[in-house]
Amino acid sequence: MGDAAQEHRQWLEQMEAASRAKQASFMDGIARKLKRPRVTEAPAHPLRGAPDFWNAFELTPEERIEKFMSNWQSVGGHPARLADMDAVRKFITDKAKEMGAHYLIRQNEPELAALDLEGALPEAEVSVWNTDADVHWKARSAEADFGVVMADYAAAYTGTVTVLSSKDKGRSVSLLPTVLMIIIPVGRLKTKMGEPLAELDRAGRENLPAGAHFISGPSRSSDIENDLTIGVHGPGIVYALIVG
Amino acid sequence: MSAKTAAGTVKERAELALNDEFLRKAVKFTTERLRNGKKNASAEHGNWDEWRERGRQIRLHTIAHLDYYLNLFVENARANGVHVHFADTGADAVKIALEVARRKQAKTVVKSKSMVSEELHLNHALEGIGVEAIETDLGEYIIQLAGETPSHIVIPAIHKNRYQIADLLSEVAGEKLEADTTVLAGFVRKKLRENFLEADIGMTGCNFAIAETGSMVLFENEGNARMVTTLPKTQITLMGMERIIPSFRDLEVMATLLPRSATGQRMTMYMSAITGPRRTEDADGPDEMHIIIVDNGRSLQLGDPEFQELLNCIRCGACLNACPVYRHIGGHAYGGTYSGPIGAVLTPALNKNVAEWDDIANASSLCGACYEACPVKIPLHDMLIYLRRRKVEKGHGNKLEGAGMKGFAAVMGNAKRFRAALKMGQLGQKLVVRDGGIRTKLGPLKGWNSYRVTPSLPKHTFRQSFATLDQEIREGLKEMSPDIRARMEAAVKNRGNAGQGGGHGHG
Amino acid sequence: MKVSLFITCLSDAIYPRVGEAMLRILAKYGVRLDFPTVQTCCGQPAFNSGYWDAARESARTIMEAFEDSDFVISPSGSCTGMIHHYPKLFENDPVMRAKAEALQAKSYEFTQFLVGVLGVTDVGASFPHKVTYHPSCHGSRLLGIKDEPMALMQNVKGLEFVPLPFAEDCCGFGGTFAVKMADISGAMVSEKVDHVKETEAEVLVGLDLACLMNIAGNLRYRGESVRVMHLAELLAEGAKLA
Repeated sequence: MGDAAQEHRQWLEQMEAASRAKQASFMDGIARKLKRPRVTEAPAHPLRGAPDFWNAFELTPEERIEKFMSNWQSVGGHPARLADMDAVRKFITDKAKEMGAHYLIRQNEPELAALDLEGALPEAEVSVWNTDADVHWKARSAEADFGVVMADYAAAYTGTVTVLSSKDKGRSVSLLPTVLMIIIPVGRLKTKMGEPLAELDRAGRENLPAGAHFISGPSRSSDIENDLTIGVHGPGIVYALIVG
Repeated sequence: MSAKTAAGTVKERAELALNDEFLRKAVKFTTERLRNGKKNASAEHGNWDEWRERGRQIRLHTIAHLDYYLNLFVENARANGVHVHFADTGADAVKIALEVARRKQAKTVVKSKSMVSEELHLNHALEGIGVEAIETDLGEYIIQLAGETPSHIVIPAIHKNRYQIADLLSEVAGEKLEADTTVLAGFVRKKLRENFLEADIGMTGCNFAIAETGSMVLFENEGNARMVTTLPKTQITLMGMERIIPSFRDLEVMATLLPRSATGQRMTMYMSAITGPRRTEDADGPDEMHIIIVDNGRSLQLGDPEFQELLNCIRCGACLNACPVYRHIGGHAYGGTYSGPIGAVLTPALNKNVAEWDDIANASSLCGACYEACPVKIPLHDMLIYLRRRKVEKGHGNKLEGAGMKGFAAVMGNAKRFRAALKMGQLGQKLVVRDGGIRTKLGPLKGWNSYRVTPSLPKHTFRQSFATLDQEIREGLKEMSPDIRARMEAAVKNRGNAGQGGGHGHG
Repeated sequence: MKVSLFITCLSDAIYPRVGEAMLRILAKYGVRLDFPTVQTCCGQPAFNSGYWDAARESARTIMEAFEDSDFVISPSGSCTGMIHHYPKLFENDPVMRAKAEALQAKSYEFTQFLVGVLGVTDVGASFPHKVTYHPSCHGSRLLGIKDEPMALMQNVKGLEFVPLPFAEDCCGFGGTFAVKMADISGAMVSEKVDHVKETEAEVLVGLDLACLMNIAGNLRYRGESVRVMHLAELLAEGAKLA
């Protein structure tokens, strides 16, 4: 560790000590203003989460697909329903050729490796997230025409896809490329967003990824005269490919 | 923050706004779009009042146990590797943020939308130490280039047209850009991409913080908040101390209420839950993450039965869009960081400085549209009255009005004096009535009669005519049907508990 | 049973015909309205401006005036709504607070009583005109009066109902607001009148005289001939009770 890094570490430790010292008085101040002693045990929270009628609400698998696709379409995304991963390979390679995509980046996941996009697109350069310590992966993603990711979950009612980060799954891959391809195995498509959210509660703090992202369509803004613009910062073209 | 960020009174600023035709039309158009979007989205979703009530209950519960949940959040965030800081005041928060920037030898900070940062005037402070702060939300970026402040919580550049925006962006581009939304947004995308990849620090606000996991949650449509939390090596998050909710399941309720109330969307395009800095082997996300928990007047609402619910606010802006006053005068007329009904209450409440309360609280007709629109049912229309009362109680009321109200009490506390006052009106109006109406713009009628004709008083008041009328009514009174009698008896019997308002409860 | 009329200042001083209309309509159903002459104003102007001591003076007078009544009926959602604030006014005085709650429980706006209690939705009126309706904020939002006036109007023969665009928007009255923030209030009432004109209605009805006076004042200022009426007046005229 260099001197500067050492010094920085020390400063962080000092700040941490100051913060811990302040914490007690900050919380005591809250309790005092609420005119009662500090609450240190978890209070009963019977009205946690959505109302019961909502938790009971469930769409059939076919309804979920239909609902997801119509939602995705309505916000300017492109949904497609595909029979299997072979159809996914064909879909992505066709689109890449059609749009002239030269640079692709994908997450480092077995399902995506099995697609063998490298073989299917010999003229394109396909990068696999975080497989080489010397590559600046954020910049690589920013250069990419296509980003290809697997959905961890999807929710039909709002048309939302959940992607979780890990060493093999970059946050940049679903954010920086011009076009985003999200593959949703039909078994991961739930009715409501509450279902993936409950999974995060179940996983617990220690097992959460640094980034859990819920994506519901292309990047958009209406900040200029209420005129809708697509692709302001994130991908403007987003495909949701439901498989199975 | 100060109530005096803008010159003059609310009334003076409102007059300026009322005379700005473009501003009025733009604000009206935007708020109508958002308001209708919200109405449709909440109707389409259904059971809206049950969702509102659930949202309110979750917020009430969290704030009532804020010491527990905030502490839990802090412990969990630390366990995730976050550096947590506490700031009692805006100045403390600024100091901590600047210190981090200095330590990191930062040249550039990219920011995503944060009302807390506006509240602290942080950009200005960063510039003061030579750090360039770049707003990356499209609307915020435009406002920053213009050197202005946001006029709406959700659509900050509501008051700018595309030609003004094209001029601002052309200056940055060094070439003339066409006043076309796609061209302008495309330019900003390209320009800010470089900034995202080069910036030393990413700075964000925080929509919700999950106590049980130490995660912070951001809602957005553009993707800039994701950029800010993914690309720079250091992340600083400014968080109001009340942003907490217990769990991700509770987040489902907030995610149901917030986007629908703000823009009428089923969901914003992105919702991100960030749990600590990047894991050791991750190839993106910040190496170092700071969360600054800001009080700055918020805790003053705790334990105040009339204002504690202010802390339930989820900053959706629905009250602005519903407010007829906001629609006519726009955000800048309010003179503080927060505008519209929530701003009219929050600004003085956070400041707790009676003398500076200005006349913000008077800029409301108390129509209750804000309450009706609020996804967590904050009774803003009642709070405005409490503010007015506190101002009077502290002796900061208007002297003339105070004297008038003493007279009011004397007259209204006694029917004889009330009768005499009515009589005086009947006599006095003879001086000003023309053609059955009063049009004079002198004295107290000036403001009223600049837009209206005041009706003249009839020859007899109701109480003067009642005896004669009653005589006639008694003579022709129909016999009451047994059905109606039964209904009336049932109504009296079913009143039950006092305060239930005879089955017509107070919203 | 004692059913009392809470006349409210505006009806007492400026629009006595509205009180008269209520008297006549209710008489049709065997209800004679009692009128305690010690009543004054509900206290809303003082309450809304923050002068709660003055408001309490008014409130005490009203509470005494209606102490023996079984029902208290007013031609204003706003003034009845003010009675709903009385418990808050006396929150630190258990005796007065209980009285305030008792008054609140028996207070009704006119259509709430007519439709909600008496169960009357057809007074046998005929009114062959194009009519639009402004739902006043306090009545509709705070007391929840939405269906009652619609039910009554639906049963008036010949009445052609035209919905008012942006009906739920405040007319800009707001009591002292109209004086303190005259230009904002003026902009609001002008917009309201623009919407009334869009309907091409001959008559605008409502349930709150303050709002109606505000809108009528601007209509007259602009030389518009739209007739402005309280719903009780329309019903009484239509049923030939006036």
